[in-house]
Amino acid sequence: MRWMEESDDSIRRAILSGEKEAYKVLMARYTPIVFRVAYRITGNESDAEEAVQEVFLRGYQSLAAFQGRSSMGTWFYRIAANCALEVVGKRRPEAQSRIAEENDPEQSEVQLADIKAGPDRLLLSREIEARQQAAMSELTPTERTAFVLRHMEDRTTEEIAAALNIAPNAAKQAVFRAVQKLRRQLAPLWINT
Amino acid sequence: MKHLEEAELVEHYYEESANMGERELHLKACPVCGQRYAELCRVLQAVATPTPPARSKDYVEQVWQSIDAFLPVYEKPKRSWIRYYRPLGWAAACLLLVAVAFVAGRRWERKQAPSVAVAVDPQARQRVVIVFLGNHLDRSEQLLVQLNHAEGHDLSALPLRSEARELLASNRLVRQSAIEAGDLNVEASLDRLERLLMELANEPDSLTEADLNRLRQEMNTDSLLFDIRVLRSRVQSPEQPSAPKATKGVPI
Repeated sequence: MRWMEESDDSIRRAILSGEKEAYKVLMARYTPIVFRVAYRITGNESDAEEAVQEVFLRGYQSLAAFQGRSSMGTWFYRIAANCALEVVGKRRPEAQSRIAEENDPEQSEVQLADIKAGPDRLLLSREIEARQQAAMSELTPTERTAFVLRHMEDRTTEEIAAALNIAPNAAKQAVFRAVQKLRRQLAPLWINT
Repeated sequence: MKHLEEAELVEHYYEESANMGERELHLKACPVCGQRYAELCRVLQAVATPTPPARSKDYVEQVWQSIDAFLPVYEKPKRSWIRYYRPLGWAAACLLLVAVAFVAGRRWERKQAPSVAVAVDPQARQRVVIVFLGNHLDRSEQLLVQLNHAEGHDLSALPLRSEARELLASNRLVRQSAIEAGDLNVEASLDRLERLLMELANEPDSLTEADLNRLRQEMNTDSLLFDIRVLRSRVQSPEQPSAPKATKGVPI
């Protein structure tokens, strides 16, 4: 394609001059990052794909407002975090009903008994994964996004705050609450092991 | 020993603590905190970071197809000549503003001028005439007094001729005004005064006492002075309270 070798800014100017197709080059450059973040925040492929579409739609519409204070990669990254957060927010009521079931004290005891019974590392790994998913579902969209950005994407508190448009202290608290919830879900797995 | 709070342990795990070294030492020294931190590490290390599934080669194209219809083509920016000519535009606007202000000022002045004329009522005009007449009579009286008492003075030092020339012009105006008003007595006195002024104005530079005596006799300046004083007293009479009092004039 014609703009493959061009810088992000040149492409942006080309798009704003009516070269709509140039946007494909930006999409190709940032789709891997955008999809990765969206997938980690939403936790599933279809939601991530929905978020990716929304990211590039929103990015195109806001391109004229992009002032170059950050790189275009960072800009798309922030949009991705927000779009994924919104997708998680839309899915949340459905997830909550599932969480309520998972958190049933009686059921929890049964599950723990099963885990203790099986010393196999593979089983433990599967159980951890299931509980991680359950714990992640329990998180609010902001907690979940903040935790993913901190724990999986290795972003600093300031970067998380900037991406979610919240105060750094609020970002730190969101990460802390997410860790607490994860500990409550996962810590029992190591009791007496 | 004060134990670390959970938030501090989390902060330490993510290496965001301001005093990492100090906390590290504490975690080594404090078994309680050390154990809590180890549990936290075990949990967080177990939280897997999911690897996103691979995308097909045409994934970008798929996304493009799904959003293409919603992406409007940006319009090309307008020709940049506007940007270059913008300062000229400002200058033209300023010029126009100045021109409008000038024209408006001129029109305002024109409108104001007649209104001033209209605003001058007959009484005011009368007051102006009285002031002018009073001033003229004052100066004429002063001239006549100088003329009548000029003996023994340095005649060349007296500004009789120049004063007479100046008074001649104003006397014509005043006399014309008296004719139009039909005041024949005043007109007669002013006519005598005018003839005297004309004689004085046409006298040579070196005015002698003989010349003065001739003028006094021919023109009967004593009588003329009396007439002028009568006229002046009429002008400054109580019926005209607004007329300013004459400050000139030499008492005899």
